[in-house]
Amino acid sequence: MTGAHDDPPRGATHTSEPLWRRYARFFGPDPVADLDDELQDHLTSTEEVLVAGGMTQGDAREEARRRFGDVSDVRRTVRSLDAQHLRRAGLREAAGSVAMDLRYALRMFRRSPLFVLVAILSIATGVAANATAFALVNAVLLRPLPGTDNDRLVRVYVNHHSPFSWQSLDWLRSHATSFEHLVGERTGAMAFQAPGSTETQRVRSSLVTQAFFRMYRVPMALGRAFDADDRSTNADDAVVVLSHAYWQEVLGSDSSVVGKTARVGGTPVTIVGVLAPEFSGSMLGWMPQILLPVSLAPRLLGTRLEELDGSFYSSARLRKGFHASDATSELQLLMAQLVQSDTARYGRMTVRLDHMRGLNAEVRGIAMLVAVGLMAMVGFVLLIACANVANLLLGRAAARETEIGVRLALGATRQRLIRQLLTESLLLGVGGAMVGLALTYVLTRAIVRVVPAEAGLTSEFFVPDARVLLFTGGLCLLTTLLFGLMPALRAASPSVTPMLRGTAARKGRAKGKLIVLQAGLCVVLLSVASQFARSMVRMEGVDNGFDPAGVIDVAIDAGLGAGDSVSRQALFERVLRESRAMAGVQFAAFSAIVPLTGSNMETVIAPDGVPANGSDGLPRTRFNIVSDGYFVMMNVPLRAGREFDVNDHLGAPRVAVINETAARRWWPGANALGKMFRWGSADGPRTTVVGIVRDIAYDMPGEDAKPFVYLALSQELRKDVVLQLRTQSPLSEVRSAMWEMLRSGAPNLPPAPVTTMQSDMSITILPIRVGASALAALGMVALLLAASGVYGVTAFAVARRTRELGIRAALGASRRHLLMLVLNESMRPVLAGAALGTLLATAASTVLARAIYGIRPFDPVVICGIGGGLALVAVCASIVPALRATKIEPVMAMRGDG
Amino acid sequence: MRDADIELIQGTLNAVILKALSWGPQNGYSIAQWVRQTTDGELELNEGALYPALHRMEHRGWLESEWGLSANNRRAKYYRLTPVGRRTLRERTAGWERLVRAVAAVLNAQVKPA
Repeated sequence: MTGAHDDPPRGATHTSEPLWRRYARFFGPDPVADLDDELQDHLTSTEEVLVAGGMTQGDAREEARRRFGDVSDVRRTVRSLDAQHLRRAGLREAAGSVAMDLRYALRMFRRSPLFVLVAILSIATGVAANATAFALVNAVLLRPLPGTDNDRLVRVYVNHHSPFSWQSLDWLRSHATSFEHLVGERTGAMAFQAPGSTETQRVRSSLVTQAFFRMYRVPMALGRAFDADDRSTNADDAVVVLSHAYWQEVLGSDSSVVGKTARVGGTPVTIVGVLAPEFSGSMLGWMPQILLPVSLAPRLLGTRLEELDGSFYSSARLRKGFHASDATSELQLLMAQLVQSDTARYGRMTVRLDHMRGLNAEVRGIAMLVAVGLMAMVGFVLLIACANVANLLLGRAAARETEIGVRLALGATRQRLIRQLLTESLLLGVGGAMVGLALTYVLTRAIVRVVPAEAGLTSEFFVPDARVLLFTGGLCLLTTLLFGLMPALRAASPSVTPMLRGTAARKGRAKGKLIVLQAGLCVVLLSVASQFARSMVRMEGVDNGFDPAGVIDVAIDAGLGAGDSVSRQALFERVLRESRAMAGVQFAAFSAIVPLTGSNMETVIAPDGVPANGSDGLPRTRFNIVSDGYFVMMNVPLRAGREFDVNDHLGAPRVAVINETAARRWWPGANALGKMFRWGSADGPRTTVVGIVRDIAYDMPGEDAKPFVYLALSQELRKDVVLQLRTQSPLSEVRSAMWEMLRSGAPNLPPAPVTTMQSDMSITILPIRVGASALAALGMVALLLAASGVYGVTAFAVARRTRELGIRAALGASRRHLLMLVLNESMRPVLAGAALGTLLATAASTVLARAIYGIRPFDPVVICGIGGGLALVAVCASIVPALRATKIEPVMAMRGDG
Repeated sequence: MRDADIELIQGTLNAVILKALSWGPQNGYSIAQWVRQTTDGELELNEGALYPALHRMEHRGWLESEWGLSANNRRAKYYRLTPVGRRTLRERTAGWERLVRAVAAVLNAQVKPA
C-alpha cells in the first residue's frame, strides 16, 4: 500500500487492503507488512481528519507527516526492535525445547535403569580404554617435558640420534650463534656417600655442562643449582644437586643437607640444592639421582674432558626469532668445518635438530609403533562398545515403535524426533564419558606405579591434561554419533500405520551387521592378545644357546671408586680367584655384557681376505668382552679351537673367539681357526681367531643369529664388568658373600647389584609381557562386551519372532525344524564376523610376526576358540526364547506378539 | 533532545501510553489524539515516537495487540493492557507522584541550606 488516495470520501467503506493479504496471515505473521499497515493507518487517519477540517489533500498530507516525524526513521527503528525480539524469542524457544528433550530423555531413562546402566558401562569401558591409551601416548610422545620451560627447546644429535663427543659439543657451542644456550649431559653411575654416612651407594648420575639449569629453567625445591665454567678447578665448584626422589628416599627429606659435604667416588662435593619433584630429567624415562658439573669429570672419571667421546646428550634453546631450520644450517656448516679439520677422527659426522616432546628420537620409533598398535586395539574396544549400545538402542527403538508412531501421527516432525533420540544418545554418551574419564584418572595413576623408579615420574605424570580432555570430549561426540545416529534415523523414519497397529516388520539386518562387526573385532583383539601370550611362552621356552638357570650376576663397576687400571685389574683377578673358591660355586667368569638384557656393543672389523668397499663397507659385528672360563660357565659349546686362557694376557698376541655365523659369513667354506682380522677399523689391531662357539641369542629370544666376536677381558681392559657365577647357593647367600668379599677388596665401592641372570633377562621380554597382559585385559573386556551384545541381540530377535514361530508350529512345523530355523539365523552373523576377524587378525599377525619372535600369522586354536565361544553365546541366547516359542498356544501366537 | 532527556521522556512516554490504554484498546493514532487533547498541546509529541515505544512494550509483555478494522474500515492494530502492563502503570503513577511531591517540596522550600 503506497501513497494516499485522491480525495477519499470519509467513511467510504472500501478497504485499502487487497483481499488476499488477509489470507496471507493464515501462514503466519508478516511483521514488515504489518508495520507498514500500522503506520499508514496512522498517517491516513490524521489526513482524513485534517481534510475533513477543511485542509486540502496536499496540505493535509504534509501536516500529517510533520506531526508524525521522520516516517522512515520510525520504521527502521521499529523493524530492528521487532527483529531483535524475534531473535531472542527464537533462542528462548530453542533452549526451551532442548530442555524439554532433556527432561523427556531423563524420564525415559528412569523407566529403564537397566538399559541405562548397561549402556553407560559399555561406553565408559570404551572411553576409559581410549582416554587412558591416549593419555599414555600424549605423555610419552606428544607432551613437552614436565618441569621445564619448553619454549624454543630442541635436541641436538650427531648423525641420526647419537650423542656428541666433548670436542664436537664444545666446538659447536662456542661457535653457534642461533642458540641462547647449547648444553650437554653425560649420564652414568657414580658412588655416592651421603654427609655423615660411611655407606656408599650406587646412584644414577649426570654430568652436565655450564648453563644446563639456566637453559632448562629447572625449578628447585631447595638451595640453588650450579652454573660454573666447565673447566673450573675451583674447590667451590665441586658441588652436587640431588633429585627430589633421592633426597626424600635416602636423605629422609632432611633440608639441612644443603651446604654439607658428600662424597662422590671418594671426591668431596658440597650439596647445593635439591630439584623440584616435577622435573623428571631432560630425557624422558631416565632421571639422574645426582647432577654434577662436568668440570668434575677429570676428578671423578680420571679422564680429561677432551677424551670424553660420544657420550654427551645435547639440547639447546633457540635464540628468540631464530628458526630451527636456520639453526640446523648453521650447525651443519660448523660441523663440516670440524670434520674438515680432522677427517680421520670425525669421518662423516652430521648434525641435526629434533623437537623436545616426549621420548628421545632413539627410542621414539618403537614407541610410535606401540602407540599405533595400542590406539588401534582400544579403538576396536570402543567400536565393540558402540555396537553394543547401538544394538540396545535398536532394540529399544523397536519396543518404542508404537510410541514413536503415535508421536509422528500427532504431528511431531521427523527432525524433532531424531533430535529427541539423539539427545537421549548424547546423554548416554556424556554419562558414559564421565564415568570413563573417572576410570581414566584411576588407571593413569595406577600405571605410573608400574613404570620403573629410574624414570623419576610423579604420580601425576600420565593424568589427563587439556589435550586428553579434548580428545575425550571428541571421543564422546564421536561415540554418540556412532551408536546413536543410525538407530535414531531408523526409528524416526518408519511408515506410521503398521507401527500404530503394532505389526511393523522386523528390522534384523542392521543388528546382524553390528554382530558381524563385534564378533570380527573381538576375534582380532583376542587373537592378537593370545599371539602375544603364546609368543611369551615360546620365548621363555626357546633354547637361546646358553643356560641361564643357576647363574647369578654381580655387576661390578670399578670405575665408581678411585684407582688406576692396574689396581682394577688386580681387583678383578682377585675377585675371580676368590669367587671360584667360594663354596657352592661351580664356575665363575667375567663378561662385559649379559645376553638378552638389552645392552649390546657393536663395531666394524676387517677380516683378512675379505674385500671391503671403503672403510664404510666393512662388516659390522656385535661383540662382548669375556674372561677365561666364560663359555664353560655359560654352557655354550665350543665348536672348534679353544677358550681364552691365562696366557692371553695384555702382552700376548690379540685373540678372539667368534660364533659359527661369523665363521660362515666371513670365511665361507674355509676353516676360520687361525684366520686374522683387524679390529674396529681397516687399520685396527690384528686379532687372531682361536675358537669358534655356538650361536647364542643377544637381543631377543629366538632371534636369527648374527655374527658375533668375543675378545679377551685380559687384553681389552674395562672398568665395569659382570661377574657371573654358576652356583647352587641361594641368591641371598651369594649376595652377602660377594659384598663381604668386595668390601675387603675395594672398600670404596658401593655394594654391587647381585641378581639372578634370569631376572636380569626378564627385561627383554618385559615389553612383550606388558603388551600381552594389556592386550589380554582389553581382549577380555572386548569379549565380555561382545558376548553381552550377541546375547542381547539374539535373544531379542528371537523373542520378537515368537508370533511367527507360533504360527509355524501351529501349521505343523516340527520343533527341531523351528530350532534349526532360529539357530541358522542367529549363527550366521557370528560366523561371518569370526571369518572377517580371522582375515584381519591374520593380516595383523603377519606384520607382528616380523617384529616379534613366536608370533604366527594364523593361529587356528585361537580363532576356533573365540568364534566357537561367541557362537555358543548366540546358541544359548536363541535356544531359550525359541523353545518357549514352540510351546506357545497357536491362538495366543496369532492374536498378539506373544 | 539530549540523551539524558530521552531517558526521561521515554519512561514518561511509556507511562502516558499505559495511561491512555487504561480505558480500553486503542490504536496508535487514537493514543496520539488522546494525548494531544488531554494535554491541550502542552506536551509536544512527535507522533512517530509512539511506535517504537508501543512495540517495545509489547515485546516486554505489558501490551497485547490485535488487528481490527478502524472506523473507516482500514486494517488497524489495537493495543490493550495486559495485567503486567496494568501493574506497571500503577507503579509508574505512584513513582511519578512521589517524584513530583519531592521536587515540589524542594522547590517550595522556605529554609535555606545550612
